[in-house]
Amino acid sequence: MNAATATPLQSDVLLPERLGDLTGLNEFGLAGELLSTLIGAVIVGSLILAMTAVAGPWAKRKITASFTDRISINQIGPAGIGIIIADAVRMLSKENIIPENADRPAYDLAPIVIVGSALLGFAVIPMGSGIQLADPEVGLAFAFAVAGIASIGLVMAGYASGNKYSLLGGLRAVAQNVAYEIPLVVTGMSVVLFAGSLQMSTIVDAQAEPLVDLGITAIPQWYALVNPFAFVLFLIANFAEVGRNPFDMPEAPAELVAGYQTEYSSVYFVLVYLGEFLHIFLGGAIISTIFLGGPDGPGPEALGIVWFTLKIWGVFFLTQWLRSAVPRVRIDQLIEIGWKGLLVLSFANLGLTAAIVGVIA
Amino acid sequence: MSTGTESEVESELTQPASGADEAELEALLGDRAIAREEHLNAPGFVINPNDVQAVLSDLRDEAGYDHLSCVTAQQYEDRYESIYHLKKFADPTDELSIVVPTTTENPVSQSAEPVFRTADWHEREAYDLIGVEYEGHPDLRRILLPETWQGHPLSGDYDQEKPQLVTLTEHQNPIQPDHREADSDTMFLNIGPHHPATHGVLHVETVLDGETVADVEPDIGYLHRCEEQMCQSGTYRHQIMPYPDRWDYVSAGLLNEWAYARAIEDLADVEVPEYAQVIRTMGAELCRIASHMLALGTFALDVYGEFTATFMYTFRDREVIQDLLEDLTGQRMMFNYFRVGGVAWDLPEPREEFFAQARDFLDELPAKVAEYHDLITGNEIFQTRCIDTGVLEPDVAKSYGCTGPVVRGSGVDYDLRRDDPYGYYDQLDWDVITRDGCDNYARVLCRMEEVEESAKIIEQCLDLLEEWPEDERDVQANVPRTLKPDADTEIYRAVEGAKGELGIYIRSDGTDKPGRFKIRSPCFSNLQALAEMSEGEYIPDLIASLGSLDIVLGEVDR
Repeated sequence: MNAATATPLQSDVLLPERLGDLTGLNEFGLAGELLSTLIGAVIVGSLILAMTAVAGPWAKRKITASFTDRISINQIGPAGIGIIIADAVRMLSKENIIPENADRPAYDLAPIVIVGSALLGFAVIPMGSGIQLADPEVGLAFAFAVAGIASIGLVMAGYASGNKYSLLGGLRAVAQNVAYEIPLVVTGMSVVLFAGSLQMSTIVDAQAEPLVDLGITAIPQWYALVNPFAFVLFLIANFAEVGRNPFDMPEAPAELVAGYQTEYSSVYFVLVYLGEFLHIFLGGAIISTIFLGGPDGPGPEALGIVWFTLKIWGVFFLTQWLRSAVPRVRIDQLIEIGWKGLLVLSFANLGLTAAIVGVIA
Repeated sequence: MSTGTESEVESELTQPASGADEAELEALLGDRAIAREEHLNAPGFVINPNDVQAVLSDLRDEAGYDHLSCVTAQQYEDRYESIYHLKKFADPTDELSIVVPTTTENPVSQSAEPVFRTADWHEREAYDLIGVEYEGHPDLRRILLPETWQGHPLSGDYDQEKPQLVTLTEHQNPIQPDHREADSDTMFLNIGPHHPATHGVLHVETVLDGETVADVEPDIGYLHRCEEQMCQSGTYRHQIMPYPDRWDYVSAGLLNEWAYARAIEDLADVEVPEYAQVIRTMGAELCRIASHMLALGTFALDVYGEFTATFMYTFRDREVIQDLLEDLTGQRMMFNYFRVGGVAWDLPEPREEFFAQARDFLDELPAKVAEYHDLITGNEIFQTRCIDTGVLEPDVAKSYGCTGPVVRGSGVDYDLRRDDPYGYYDQLDWDVITRDGCDNYARVLCRMEEVEESAKIIEQCLDLLEEWPEDERDVQANVPRTLKPDADTEIYRAVEGAKGELGIYIRSDGTDKPGRFKIRSPCFSNLQALAEMSEGEYIPDLIASLGSLDIVLGEVDR
């Protein structure tokens, strides 16, 4: 959005408040507020889950197929879209096989932790068109923190499955997350230096300012354009953080069978699988918010959610592209890249950004 | 040996040109050679069971026989016999058979394993199927059959009608149970029999120290289908030829068929028309390209993960070859196209259409290979993954009897198509590819470059076939309805299959069926080197090394 003079919806009124106003629940005090927050959460959750439902059984197959010279699903419904329902029925109606050696309840909790941590992250993401559940001052830190919880879920899944492949996958997940969380957060910090705030709405608003004015239109001040170096660093660290190619160590199909998720079946598998997609989308959401201007885009403000969704899907598309085209690095190489490469670069980036921001200020 | 005129071949075989060498060998072996034998492919020396190691190490170190191609064991009425088929990597036509007879009552022979590492599995197989015991063998267990198997199926007194009754407790799961050793930091991991990276049913018993591979032992035999025995109960003329398609079943059918064709044609003194040899050469090279495409695609699966585009790209290109082969042979995989003395039929009509299709494929191939280089070998991550991993030193490779792209990737210049020519290869212009990297990357590059060389060969074959005079297009020699080679003629003949040296040993017993039919599978020997390649490296390297060996379990287990 170029002329960001109109009232920025996302920063002023949060979704629960608006719902409260709309339904009149605000008049019932705390209970009403809670209820409207809950309704808001259900709306946001459904939105995100609907996206993963499209992405998991359908879009992923279609995208991979077009990269790999295949047609893939095309029988049920137009372009095979009905596979979503068919897959849901199939997955949910399967027997949930729980290994004898599974360490319960850790085994049962792991999928929930993986899914929950990702869903929590969306609470602070401004999705445009006024859809944002909460806007705390520590928004970005909160998003990083809850996304990081997922690695606990992976370790739990890995160790509680009682399977050596799972264990190896879980161990890799920890090593990887520890190594890449730091560059991820440090690179995120450079954005905070620009925006001067951890609050998501402030970061988004700051990016709506024009960077270069071209008269008729203007190039917005998205931090991906202001600091492409940080953007690339963050993107790489993010792929490692969510365990996508070329960093899909914890799963490593062909090496570890399916890594930490080897022993999960039926509903649990759905959850784990869902969690993966949620984390890709959460990663995409954080990237969109802090580097791509969040819901910013041409057209009226109400289109914000569309732009935002497109940006998330862009990141998702990129993960699938990499999956088809890029080899997997080895675990020791991954750790080496993380500690010796990305960490140093991310601090260099932080220092540089600080210097630039200081000079401008 | 040239141009496939088999009578010349024959005369050379029975009277080896290297008469002087033979005298030297006699001098070298001295008293240890207790008798002489003549095999069609090589002179044979009979030695005592106690002299095996001494004789083989002398032959290796003094006479240069550094390639133990195969170990064949068999039982006669009065004795067991192990034959060590020796060759030289520098000149595979210089062959030598060391025959080690043992008594029926006490079939114990010294193991050759300390001299040639490859003897390990070959002797285990001989023990498993025939029942010869090898003294000093580090680990003489059954290899193809379950541990609980009673008797040795290819020995004389084995009753094939008798069911194998094994109690449940005896027939325990071959997968090792979970166990914990208090004083050890290592973890035992079963990779396979069902695992996405084993390229079939292979069980790799692995000991891990963290992510590092401490010990590897492949456990094979899950796909054992008694191929040798089935070939022994089929007639030479027609009944054996369909089986080779089923050894390396993925795409290499014609290459396998050629192994049997070459052995039986040399054994029965059949001369193959040149026209048929050109068709064979073309078909075999088409198979080689298809097989190497598959090798490249599955290797990408191991290094990239299961959703890689490379795999589908290689299959897309392989499909074009499958179509060509289907036009030529009438089948996609189980071709059964070669016949003793030629091929089943001429090129499909209209010939122009076939030539046009084949040429289209060849014209598009360079662009496709360039695409693979862009996509795979040029990728930095791929290079960091493959360069200096799965290292197989040339000496180790030789000792394990590795052949094909595996040994050529270690810089050993060994290709039977050039060094022991058959078919039409020596009339064509092409090169043997070698790479000095000794690593996974070298093996991949080797295969990709071999694809281009094969394309060269096919192109020349197409030129020849197109211009071949119409009245000279003989696709089959005149072969008797029943083939009965003289009793006790023995031959070991090998061709360059997609994976390496595919050899066939046949001993005739005067009937129309082989007395002993032994298959020397390149994958079997290559797979042995896996432990050497992957110990001390990481799990992903083990998986990549396994992929770079390009094994087909149908050929390993036969």
